[in-house]
Amino acid sequence: MTTVDPNTNKASAQSKTTAAEEFPIEVDHLTKRYGERTVVSDLSFVARPGRVTGFLGPNGSGKSTTMKIALDLASAESGRVTIGGRRYRDLPDPMAIVGAMLESNAFHPGRSGRNHLRVLADAGGIDSARVDELLEYVGLDDAANRRVGAYSLGMRQRLGFAGALLGDPPVLVLDEPANGLDPQGIHEMRDLLRARAAKGHTVLVSSHLLTEVELLADDVVVVNRGQLVASGVMGELQEEAALVRAPEQDRLAVLLADGGVAVERRADALLVRGLSIAEIGQQAFDAGVALHELSQHSGSLEEQFLRWTSDPDGPDAQDSEEGRP
Amino acid sequence: MTFSRVVRAELRKLTTTKMPWGFLAVLVAISAITASTVVWGTDADGTKGFISTAADQRSLVAFAANAMVIAGLFGAIAVAREYGHGTVIPTFLISPHRQRAVLAQLVAVGVGGAVLGLVGTALTVIGVTIALQTTEFAFMVSFGGVVSVLAAASFTGMAGAVLGAGIGMMVRNTGGAVTGAVVVLIIAPPLIVQLISGASMWIPSALAVTLSGIQPEAAGVESQAGTPAALLVLAAWAAVPAVIGLLSVQRRDVV
Repeated sequence: MTTVDPNTNKASAQSKTTAAEEFPIEVDHLTKRYGERTVVSDLSFVARPGRVTGFLGPNGSGKSTTMKIALDLASAESGRVTIGGRRYRDLPDPMAIVGAMLESNAFHPGRSGRNHLRVLADAGGIDSARVDELLEYVGLDDAANRRVGAYSLGMRQRLGFAGALLGDPPVLVLDEPANGLDPQGIHEMRDLLRARAAKGHTVLVSSHLLTEVELLADDVVVVNRGQLVASGVMGELQEEAALVRAPEQDRLAVLLADGGVAVERRADALLVRGLSIAEIGQQAFDAGVALHELSQHSGSLEEQFLRWTSDPDGPDAQDSEEGRP
Repeated sequence: MTFSRVVRAELRKLTTTKMPWGFLAVLVAISAITASTVVWGTDADGTKGFISTAADQRSLVAFAANAMVIAGLFGAIAVAREYGHGTVIPTFLISPHRQRAVLAQLVAVGVGGAVLGLVGTALTVIGVTIALQTTEFAFMVSFGGVVSVLAAASFTGMAGAVLGAGIGMMVRNTGGAVTGAVVVLIIAPPLIVQLISGASMWIPSALAVTLSGIQPEAAGVESQAGTPAALLVLAAWAAVPAVIGLLSVQRRDVV
């Protein structure tokens, strides 16, 4: 991607929405079934303006279905999704309000990248100059006249992203946008999404790249088997723990565990939850256990994600309640 | 969002792949075959009686029946591939009121079918006119006759494309949609004629002949529908699958 500012579409429909207008995405008790299978179950969350919301879950957990319902591409058995208080179909000019990228292969392989965007621009009443501007921005200007069938996955992602930005919308709904992108592309996309959120835009991003979400998202919504298992501010969901290294590690682990503290054994350290650093240090001192390291440890999103989604009891498990709003 | 914008986008979709060139090649081939028939073909008695009168020549250049079949395949492929490639997703995102998007698609495909019919007829007229120079006969179809044949092929092309598009919406698979169009336009009509007496004048090919202004004796039939009735019934042949397709698109999830 080059340094063209994608937010400067003078001819875009952005002018049709007032600068002060905000568009939260509100998912309200959403349920979707395919036959006997419930793919989304009583799901509720809000993606707020001015925030990047990471939408996480294992494959088949209902993320894409939820996004499709939000965009009126699929119907729900019950519940609803609104964007700025209105259902998608009731938005006056959807392309000027919501930019979406749902599938990396929703292109005709025989059509050029430029013509793909021109089709969208025609339908949205957007000047064709914006097409060229975005092709340059996503780094496809040299490949713009090549047929999409010859594009790599990363190039198709860039094209899809350009399509989402075409109307310069205040809401972005992106399903796995980083798929196939090189590190530079991921970095630039992250910067762009953060910049849009900083302008008060609403950004909802599903991804299986947890480290990427960790760097990108302000808020996180985690679903498993169609149900909400955690949601909240990223920092609050990254549970604090203490990292302890000691030559008598096993003895210390038994000592702390006997006191009812959660102790997780790592290769050469203990991860202790439920006690402050001072309390751990005091207990070790009282027991005569030497410590080589005692430090704060922020749990990675990946650790938390695995705990939320691997519990065989599903979303009713205790851990999953921690982050609920 | 205006309807005309969506129609414009649909027209651009149709013209930015190689599909129209493929259909143009088919039209050129049909025109060449017809011209070859004029040059080298004869009746059973060895004469060129089949081009000896204006009515015979008009029957030869009348492209309306071919236009309906070719445009039917065009419409079926054009719409079914939208679902196959997922390109219907951005369409429905820009125009979430699906009936509007579908109607725009039908308008665009109908225009495409009309153009195919028009171009197919024009190529055939040109081919036959050139080929006639190798015979003792001149081109005898009047200007009004040519206009009538062009208009008929445009209308049947439009109707065929809309019919095919309706099938494409229902089936959403290119192979299935093509098969469906072939069944409806080629296989089913003779069976209907056998099952229902008096149906022969209402099948698409017979209606196309009627609209082309070919008289019953030249067409080899006993009776024909009137032109207004032929227009209405042909429109109905197109409208029924189109309406069913529209309703099915309204209700289905896009997955």
